[in-house]
Amino acid sequence: MADPRRLPLRVTNLRIANPRGRVLVDVPDIAVAPGEALGIRGPSGAGKSTLLFALAGLIKSASGQVVWGDQDLLNLSAEARTAFRAENMGLIFQDFLLFEELGAAANAGVGSFFRRKSTRPDLRQRADRMLTHLGIRDEARNVTSFSGGERQRVAVARALAHDPALLLADEPTASLDRAAADRLVGDLIDLTRAEGKTLITVSHDIALLDRMDRVILIQDGKLVETENV
Amino acid sequence: MSSLWASLSATWQDSLIALALVLPGLIIGALTIRGFAPWALVRALLWRFRWPNVMFVLLIAASVGMGIGLIAQERGLRKGTAAAADKFDMIVAAPGSEMTLMLASVYLQPSDVPLLKGQIYNEIANHDRVTIAAPLAFGDSFGGAPIIGTIADFARYLSDDQIEGRMWQDTFEAIAGAYVPLDIGDSFVPSHGFGDTAEDDAHGDQITVVGRMAPTGSPWDRAIMVPVESVWAVHGLANGHAPDAPVQLGPPYDAAYFPGTPAIVVKADELWATYSLRSEFTRDAETMAFFPGTVLAELYAVMGDVRQAMSLMTLVTQVLVATSVLVGMFILTRLFRRQMSLLRALGAPGRFVLSVVWSYAAMLLVSGAVLGLGVGLGAAHALSRIVTARTDILVVPQIGWTEVHLLLGFLSVTLLLSLLPALAVLRRPIVDGLRA
Repeated sequence: MADPRRLPLRVTNLRIANPRGRVLVDVPDIAVAPGEALGIRGPSGAGKSTLLFALAGLIKSASGQVVWGDQDLLNLSAEARTAFRAENMGLIFQDFLLFEELGAAANAGVGSFFRRKSTRPDLRQRADRMLTHLGIRDEARNVTSFSGGERQRVAVARALAHDPALLLADEPTASLDRAAADRLVGDLIDLTRAEGKTLITVSHDIALLDRMDRVILIQDGKLVETENV
Repeated sequence: MSSLWASLSATWQDSLIALALVLPGLIIGALTIRGFAPWALVRALLWRFRWPNVMFVLLIAASVGMGIGLIAQERGLRKGTAAAADKFDMIVAAPGSEMTLMLASVYLQPSDVPLLKGQIYNEIANHDRVTIAAPLAFGDSFGGAPIIGTIADFARYLSDDQIEGRMWQDTFEAIAGAYVPLDIGDSFVPSHGFGDTAEDDAHGDQITVVGRMAPTGSPWDRAIMVPVESVWAVHGLANGHAPDAPVQLGPPYDAAYFPGTPAIVVKADELWATYSLRSEFTRDAETMAFFPGTVLAELYAVMGDVRQAMSLMTLVTQVLVATSVLVGMFILTRLFRRQMSLLRALGAPGRFVLSVVWSYAAMLLVSGAVLGLGVGLGAAHALSRIVTARTDILVVPQIGWTEVHLLLGFLSVTLLLSLLPALAVLRRPIVDGLRA
């Protein structure tokens, strides 16, 4: 097993089709080095998010290989993929996906509800530190009273609370105004760079994509172009 | 094994059955939740979908309450009727329907029955083993309250000697039942007959209330007791005593001047003696002696069939509700499909998602069942008040082991069934849930 902190990604012949046979993603090869920041851009409906979800092992019907370190996610059972995500991945979504009835701390530390009892205090402490670092002051306050920017920062804290090696973000700034988006981009880049994490983000946001090491363009499910930033 | 079971007390047996019924639910819960802390998320889901949840809990409570209420009510009625007949060890009457005689004597339901002669009464009253032989004389009423002629010893025995005021000392004095709307000192003129057909001016004698019995929990609480001589007198009959005998109320009676009595309530000095008295006073074409308790037991046997039918109906209702709960759970889980998909995306094991959905369902089911217990008890109390008001039989519903077993069985089955919607959540594609 590879060093859990160093997980290079190698995607080979990844193909995803919908039940009617329409090909949604068809990518022959992508490689991402540990600690690299990769942006995925492309028009709406091009298959960017589907590709990202496949990299997270969330799509059952994918074929090919998605190898993180020495683990091919597509060859793992559903529970093993889930365990891999729990251990190694943090996920951020466009519309935050928080538990509305919980406070910021409980949302950021939601992983503690299902992890081993011995790891829960550490996870909660790290979640609290992340929230503080991201400027969330009232950690007990219900997230329904938070602004969009604050909510997404809680989501970032949740994604990083268990100290994953990989951070996968799907349009993290799309629901934010410019000022909130700029702040989030800064936080996201600073936190991942400082801790040597691999960041893969789907985005239309030029400000965010400009901060990536590399950006790939997806059109009609195919990898069209790679740009080094 | 069966002998060990038989050696246990009823309470132990009921407790073990309750444990066996609830155990599957507890085991499922323990296996599902073990190692996780789902409660914060369960609370969040309960609050988020609070109105559908409230509706669900009320549905479960109504169903559980209905079953429990019916069973508790039936038991309360059975106990109430038995308690009302408690003081009536044995009744001797002319041959006929035991049920009719029991309803007339114990529950004071008007009926026409043949009379027993004075010789018979004296034979019973003078028997060595008989401590009370109370003639009963029906037929009159006042303001809807039946007037019963009897002897002072029986009035004392019936009320456990709990009489406010004093016992009658004159033919035209009365002891009112606990709930008769007459005060001590009030006077009344008895009507002939009962209800709408009662003739208010058939008798001219005025009777004065001199005492009031403590509540007995029986229809006698709404009856007016008078010396049996009073009933005979207002009907223009002999008063049971020879005209030249000293004035007296109660036995001994002179058979030649005894107008007759439809029933004699008999109390023996020992329980076993009652059985021998029954044999002794059951004579073809002359007398019939019976135990109201036995007649009630026969009635309960019939009621038992009804009870079984009610239990079956209750069970069918519970099955229907369990099915509704299951279908409802499938619908409810669609409401929080996105949250469950999020948990899976974040790396929560399938069993954790199962534990959240199952705990959520368990909270609704347990809340509904506990509320149902209260609803059932409340409904049984309300029904009991109506039955008591209409029959004067004190019905006190109580939750018994049958209801506890029903409740725990319902919970265990539905907790087990709740795994199905929880498993269905796991089968749904995560990405579809995230995009829902």
